[in-house]
Amino acid sequence: MSARLVARDVRKNFGGVQALRGVSVTVEEGSVIGLIGPNGSGKTTFLNLLAGAEKPTSGTIELNGRRTDGLPVNRVVGLGIAKTYQIPRPFLAMTVRENVAVAAMYGAFHRKPGEARDDAGRLLSLVGMDPQAETVAAELTVQHRKQLELARAIATGARILLLDEVFAGLSADELPRSINLVSKIQKELGFGALVVEHVMRAVLTLSDHVVVIEEGRTIAEGAPQEVVHDPAVIEAYLGTEVARAPT
Amino acid sequence: MRIPRMRFPTFGPTLYGLALLMVVLGIATPFLPIVAKVQLINFLLFVGLAYALNFITGLTGYVSFGHAIFMGIGAYALGGGIDRLGFPPLLGVFLGAGLGAAFAVGIGLVTLRFRGVYFAITTLVLFLAAKNIVPEISQLGEGGGIFMNLGFQPLAQFYTIWAIVVIEIGLTYWVTHGRLGYGLRAIKSDEDVAKTVGVNASRLKLSLFGISGMFTGATGAVYAWTLSAVLPETGFDITFSLRMLAMIIIGGAGTLLGPFLGAIIVYVPYNYFQTVQSLLGLQLAVIGALVLLIALFIPTGIVGTVRRYVPFLRRYIE
Repeated sequence: MSARLVARDVRKNFGGVQALRGVSVTVEEGSVIGLIGPNGSGKTTFLNLLAGAEKPTSGTIELNGRRTDGLPVNRVVGLGIAKTYQIPRPFLAMTVRENVAVAAMYGAFHRKPGEARDDAGRLLSLVGMDPQAETVAAELTVQHRKQLELARAIATGARILLLDEVFAGLSADELPRSINLVSKIQKELGFGALVVEHVMRAVLTLSDHVVVIEEGRTIAEGAPQEVVHDPAVIEAYLGTEVARAPT
Repeated sequence: MRIPRMRFPTFGPTLYGLALLMVVLGIATPFLPIVAKVQLINFLLFVGLAYALNFITGLTGYVSFGHAIFMGIGAYALGGGIDRLGFPPLLGVFLGAGLGAAFAVGIGLVTLRFRGVYFAITTLVLFLAAKNIVPEISQLGEGGGIFMNLGFQPLAQFYTIWAIVVIEIGLTYWVTHGRLGYGLRAIKSDEDVAKTVGVNASRLKLSLFGISGMFTGATGAVYAWTLSAVLPETGFDITFSLRMLAMIIIGGAGTLLGPFLGAIIVYVPYNYFQTVQSLLGLQLAVIGALVLLIALFIPTGIVGTVRRYVPFLRRYIE
């Protein structure tokens, strides 16, 4: 059965602040959903709720019809939803291979250490990090840390990945390579992904469907090209005057 | 296919070395003079405590300042078991282990939610509370302690603590060399991230705290047995918390050999100073200074430092 993550009318309050006021998104295995919105619109909060790092105030999150909201993070990972961190957080004292292997041992697969190390090797060649396999994670460059973050999330065996700004902070020449790499891996492995991203080029290239949120609400969704021309979206990003200006 | 380099060798010379040493001690001790027997018992008590604390502080990074609480519980379990229930000492040690584990799980359920310095302070506060409550219980001597009149039983004591240490070493090896070892290193490195790759951090920490409490309780019971008495000051002795920490910091926290090395380094001055009138009472100052130096200059302890700077020994020392 192919995995399907459904979030319905998810709301989250932090004290009196309504960070999310009803967002619904469906992510299916094999498809990539882009989630965009201005700073502070609630994107990262939404990912945290889907990953189980926090509980929604109301609304439901289901994976294949089974409620996952309220479950602890490690259970959610076990069911097949994994998240990357916006600022990569590798296990610094471990080698790159060990970083990935630990995810294979504890994620949805529960691999034995030997098998997990083999899995890690395969995944590392997939993301192009073979030469760094035995490097201690603390010594990696930002670009490599981002790739490791991705490899580690995949290694959990998750069928739905939540990718939090994997392309942020990359240089202009790293960016296209990185976008191609993610696209290639996604097609090859066929997982579903919810991609939170500021880099428009990445969103437009990768996504099959884009959801735009502002101040915790969905203001537009649809095919990537349609969404970026939606006046409401332009207004949210750039202000009213630009949106009304003749194009 | 290229065989991946393992961070820890699968067949540990360290384990073989320790096993051999323990076997030799186990065989030779009955033939040693009485003074040496007593010395070995006291030394192994230190080793037992070091490995016990290593399970939680060494492997997960949670620094427990209050571990002497479990020694006290073990000591009073032995005292109460013998005095009130007519237990033989060995059964008292089992009771100490059981209660040590039970209290550790109970305490851990609450305190392991705190991290870093908050956890350390909480354990210290709990120690102070326990020190003022447990010895005052009327069935446990009402503050006057319990005198057990057990006579001199060096061999029984020796083999009890010997067995505790052997089990601890075996368990440490088993925990660090499999799936659990990876999960624990992940927790020690970044607990939140460990959870996001599926590690059930709460359960793992609680299990290790329980194991740690069990061995500390058992060792505390044997310690009380060697004194043939349980007093509030010897049962709940904060300096043991400090010694335990000193041993694993000096030797190398979270390693297999570290607690043993640390125990030697802390035990020798401790023991020697007690025999020299003019140095009496200085042992903690010396150990404290040593810990400071290690923390400042070689924070990974002896084992960590050797592994880092002497690649040739990396295969043999873990």
